[in-house]
Amino acid sequence: MALPLPPGLTPSEVGFLCEMELVTVIPRQRLEGLELLGGPTQSLNPPFPAPLPLWLALLLKRQKRANISPPPWLSVEGLSSILQFETDNRTAEVFSPAPALPQPTGFGSRHDAYLSQDSLEFSPPFLADSSTTRSQSNALPYHWLELGHLLLTHASDDFDDPDTVRRLLRDLREVRMSKLRKGFKVLDAGAGVKMNGVGGMEVAEVRGFVGGIVDGLRKINRSREESRKEREAEERENGLGSSSYQDDEDDMQL
Amino acid sequence: MEDIEDILASVSKPSIPQRTRDLQALTRAWVNERTSPELLPYPVDLVERVTDRIKTQIETIEEMTGTMDPKSNFTLVILQTELERFKFLVRSFLRARIAKRKIDKYALHCRQLAQTDPAILSPLEQQYLQSHQALLASHYSASFLSSFPQALQKLDDTSGGISMVDKPDEDSAVFCRVLRDAGSVEIQSEGGAADVDLKRGDVWVLRWSAVKDSVVTGDVELL
Repeated sequence: MALPLPPGLTPSEVGFLCEMELVTVIPRQRLEGLELLGGPTQSLNPPFPAPLPLWLALLLKRQKRANISPPPWLSVEGLSSILQFETDNRTAEVFSPAPALPQPTGFGSRHDAYLSQDSLEFSPPFLADSSTTRSQSNALPYHWLELGHLLLTHASDDFDDPDTVRRLLRDLREVRMSKLRKGFKVLDAGAGVKMNGVGGMEVAEVRGFVGGIVDGLRKINRSREESRKEREAEERENGLGSSSYQDDEDDMQL
Repeated sequence: MEDIEDILASVSKPSIPQRTRDLQALTRAWVNERTSPELLPYPVDLVERVTDRIKTQIETIEEMTGTMDPKSNFTLVILQTELERFKFLVRSFLRARIAKRKIDKYALHCRQLAQTDPAILSPLEQQYLQSHQALLASHYSASFLSSFPQALQKLDDTSGGISMVDKPDEDSAVFCRVLRDAGSVEIQSEGGAADVDLKRGDVWVLRWSAVKDSVVTGDVELL
């Protein structure tokens, strides 16, 4: 049975990914360590905090078996400093940088099979400490919007000031969306747009638009690109320039 | 300072359990397959390991249900929730591969690919592709192709300069993240071709044809 969805993740699939992020929970009940398919979990001994995947933390939270401590960046101070960066005139063109990355763990080589074990590099949502209490307080991780939304919806009583956090998140989202929209101006057929610091939900939101424009422009510009490539190839071979003049004329007529 | 971090990193590396690594790999396989315009190689070992574990987990859950221990009830809920999440991942991954735009839509192209590189399809997918094609071909010929002249009955005609075999658009734009410094790729901008460096942590919108090889080696992942 084929998947009827168009390419690109849907918002709920992005949310599904986000639920694999580790968060810090403060258990209220004892729970033995579990042998899960995604690796073993730590045993829970109140009141010692433990890292758990978000889906499990939300499950425990809903049954009032644990509290979730929000990551440092999801606080009034953290978000305000990031918002300040985002609204600063000097950084009007870029997103606030993503959290610092650890050293790469392996080296890929042409001989490795696709997704081989030895050279696997970790990335969100599996980066260590991107949303636990040990995460960086001045940078937004890849799943910031989804994580903030889920925590504020299901665990708002674990925040000191949920309303301010919610407002700051919304401000950030708006500032960043308007940056993204401004960034669309530089889109062209070449598809070479750098978007460092972009979030998962933001990608899901603009994918159709950006992809459509880049692909559409590429199709419109195809003949020009091809003639340019031909011309360059000819120049490299030091051939006669006659056919490239021809191409220029064609462009003029169009 | 960096030395210490390096040492810590090298010490902590083996501590990441195999199961977690497999979850990362499976998640990446799923996202890549959901967003790439072309079919990627089939990760045989990974899918085998994961499906084996899912089977064992189902057995464990069945045993636990049998004992009906009230204390283990909650554990059961957690195990089942996780099982469902895993099953969704595997299922969605496999379905994305057969989806309209991959095996179904570009069936003939896939068949040619599989002839040159058998690792791209799993045996089951091969079988599916064959029987699906056979059904389609017999349906077409029964309903209209048989009344055409012999020369026009082919479904994979490549003569006359235009190939009938539909191919995915290799140049379509993809969102990707660089996992390891991966050298530079060429982009075609308005002013001409230019090279951009791919540095660890960068997020780019690039042509699929430019990053395809890096995705297969694991230097780049799709978003």
